[in-house]
Amino acid sequence: MSFRLQDGCIHEASHGISMGVGIRVVSGESAGYAYSDDLSPEALFQAADAASLIARTCAAGTTGETGIALERVNAAQNLYTDGESAGADAAKYVALLERADVAARRFDPRVVAVNAHVTDEFQKVWIANSDGRLVYDARPMITLAVQAVASDHKERGSGFAGDGGRTSIAFFDEHSPEQLAAEAARIATVNVEAVAAPAGEMEMIVGSGGGGVLLHEAVGHGLESDFNRRGTSLYSGRVGERVASDLVTIYDDGNLVEERGSVNVDDEGVPGQHKVLVENGILRGYMQDVLNARLMNVESTGSGRRQSFRFLPQPRMCNTYMPNGTSTFESILGSTKRGLYAKSFAGGQVEISKGDFVFMIGEGYLVENGRITAPLKNATIVGNGPDAMTKVVAVGNDSHLARRHYTCGKGGQYVPVGVGMPTVKISSITVGGTHHE
Amino acid sequence: MSSDALQFALDTAQRAVEIAASAGASAAEATVAITHRYHVEARESTIARLERSTARTLHVRAFAEGRKALLSTSDLSASGMHDAIAATVAQAKHVAVDEFAALPESFAKNGIDLRLYDAALVDRDGDARVEDALELERLIRAQDSRIVNSSGSHYQDAESFTAIANTAGFSGAYTSTRASRSTGPVALDGEVKRTAHYGSAGRRLADLEDLPSIAREAARRATDLFGARKPPTGKFPVIFERDVAATILDDLFSAVSAANAANGNSWLIGRAGTKVGSDAVTIVDDGSMPEKLGSSPFDGEGVATQRTPVFERGVLKTFLYDTYYARKLGATSTGNSNGSGIGTGNFYLQPGSDSLEQLIAATRRGVLVLDTIGFATEHASGTYSRGARGFFIENGELAYPVDEFTIAGMYAEMLAGIDAVGSDLRFDAAVVSPSFRVAEMTVSGN
Repeated sequence: MSFRLQDGCIHEASHGISMGVGIRVVSGESAGYAYSDDLSPEALFQAADAASLIARTCAAGTTGETGIALERVNAAQNLYTDGESAGADAAKYVALLERADVAARRFDPRVVAVNAHVTDEFQKVWIANSDGRLVYDARPMITLAVQAVASDHKERGSGFAGDGGRTSIAFFDEHSPEQLAAEAARIATVNVEAVAAPAGEMEMIVGSGGGGVLLHEAVGHGLESDFNRRGTSLYSGRVGERVASDLVTIYDDGNLVEERGSVNVDDEGVPGQHKVLVENGILRGYMQDVLNARLMNVESTGSGRRQSFRFLPQPRMCNTYMPNGTSTFESILGSTKRGLYAKSFAGGQVEISKGDFVFMIGEGYLVENGRITAPLKNATIVGNGPDAMTKVVAVGNDSHLARRHYTCGKGGQYVPVGVGMPTVKISSITVGGTHHE
Repeated sequence: MSSDALQFALDTAQRAVEIAASAGASAAEATVAITHRYHVEARESTIARLERSTARTLHVRAFAEGRKALLSTSDLSASGMHDAIAATVAQAKHVAVDEFAALPESFAKNGIDLRLYDAALVDRDGDARVEDALELERLIRAQDSRIVNSSGSHYQDAESFTAIANTAGFSGAYTSTRASRSTGPVALDGEVKRTAHYGSAGRRLADLEDLPSIAREAARRATDLFGARKPPTGKFPVIFERDVAATILDDLFSAVSAANAANGNSWLIGRAGTKVGSDAVTIVDDGSMPEKLGSSPFDGEGVATQRTPVFERGVLKTFLYDTYYARKLGATSTGNSNGSGIGTGNFYLQPGSDSLEQLIAATRRGVLVLDTIGFATEHASGTYSRGARGFFIENGELAYPVDEFTIAGMYAEMLAGIDAVGSDLRFDAAVVSPSFRVAEMTVSGN
């Protein structure tokens, strides 16, 4: 269920039910897939027939199996705080939005518009496979997002903040909507005052928390096993090799309590895991789903995720982060002559085969002679994954996960993820602003 | 089969409206969409995946004394619909009274046939569909020995049945199809892997580019940029090739969406009736064109689609409206509701007379952009910035390939700076554009 606020009023309420069965038939490297949101036996047989067409089209295989004995396996852990979406008191959600609206407007008179929404979902999944495994998972997800627009009658700027996770509305007792709204309003007012970002190569300080978008784009996607099994990633066949400066260690973890990317079991019924992707600059392994793991002769890492029953599982990230280094924020800032401090990002994208990535600044500042001197307008940063990772020259001791609002898109499927990072310095990167003398 | 599905969609929509009315809604609208999808992906000589499914969804907008609530459900069982719709009507009481929230007052005429359905596509043999994907895989490899891999070749099609009914007495339904072929060859440039994506989409099978031509273009895109390096940083003219130009039109659509204008998220707020772009900027939204991907006989709330000049010779003529934002901002709906917000019809920049080659030849020193990554547009201020790849132009010729750089500008300056528009417009998506040149943007390389 979801509520949306604009112009100071609850503008819209909505809710939705998406329910169905997806059937995947695997034969060698090939997958047949069909889903049905009609749960009648005829519709299910029809879907099963369509999915198994692949086995008849593609290959030799055993036939004549007659039924599989399913055995219920329980997830070994519970990473979620139970949600209450069904039957929760709508007035509580509405109150969150109204409090956010008031707080954003109170923050600064230049705030001219506030758009906010709260969405509470509950995903119940049964997974059964021909190995006889039957697993159930019930995943809550709440998100409160606030966008503020500020204007000084000449310039306009916007700011965004969101939080939540695999938890219930009680999360916002501890993490107030006022705080979140003030953060969105603060960024909007910074962006009103922002000057044109510079253009060209310079030093960059990547902010802690949300800076993890850098890891997600520059390295994470390239380590998903489908690209590596097919050999289309620049990281294909490079396990054990140096792919980053020795200051760089990257984990992907499906086991963090309440985080958006966490799963008791993934969408193939495999428990979420802590994975070491890069350790002191050396590539340690890929993120695997069952199909690619089998074809690469390894085990699934619990990375098989899907948006819903309407999609095939793919190897995906869960919560991707870099642990602490030893530098302080002050020493990193102090050592920067002329550069960009990207405090937060609005998103990113990567081209898997060559490894070129971009990410977009949500809040950024110019750094001159070790001091923050001016807020900068939104700009895109462009780099190449291994190149940028080799240029990591300092890693801070302030690692933390970002506020929980990130969603990752791949092959038309969107899944919730988490990112995290300490403050990191990259010695040179291309900043795509408009200011150039 | 097809007329059965259409009737089922219409009956279900009508039943949903009746349930909403009996649950206490003062007005209601229901949309049912049923889509049969087919997707085959080939890699090398094998079928990597074969998907065939039917999706059915019901969307309801219920109004109760000026309060609006929405439902989206795939549960079309009698009890499922009843419970969900009753819950939707009940949820509306938490919404603020909004004098502008209501159904439209006038609707599309029935019986408009925009020829959006291709029976030949629906009747296509399964093997022929699979063969399209397999043949693309063979063809891209045969094009060039440097193409060593592929991220997959695809054939997809869909047959859709859409029905809308409401308590104002409108009911309408239509069928449509779409199909696409696409491929992603990977070429080896020394140690560097370069992937290109190219494809073709249309309402009809016959609208699709043929397989050899798709393979040729995809292979060319994968190998053209061999040896690419960073361009110099500076201010240069930038030519956006057709497909990239379309992504700029996507951004412009966001800026002319009345929903964004009403919510502070458009740099065009307050500029209606003023000259924003150069004389070369004439942009039209037209959801009523026959056979096009952005076309439909009526929009998401049953209002007739129409041809709307959005920019004429640089002057912003109008924002694009659904019924709600038209009422709120004192305008008339332009038939751009997509059910839950504002969507495009066919949104395009009017083509000029020059070929892309002529645009390049007329550029002394600049950048041809063939592809961008990222989506950094800050719509409130109109700040544009993207990662890009393409060619550096010197003396009207493609001097050398460039990648790993950014282009940036303010939309107001970019539109005012469009000084040449190509003739290469084609309608292979809902939002399309010919190639065009912006007189000056900031290129950031090394």
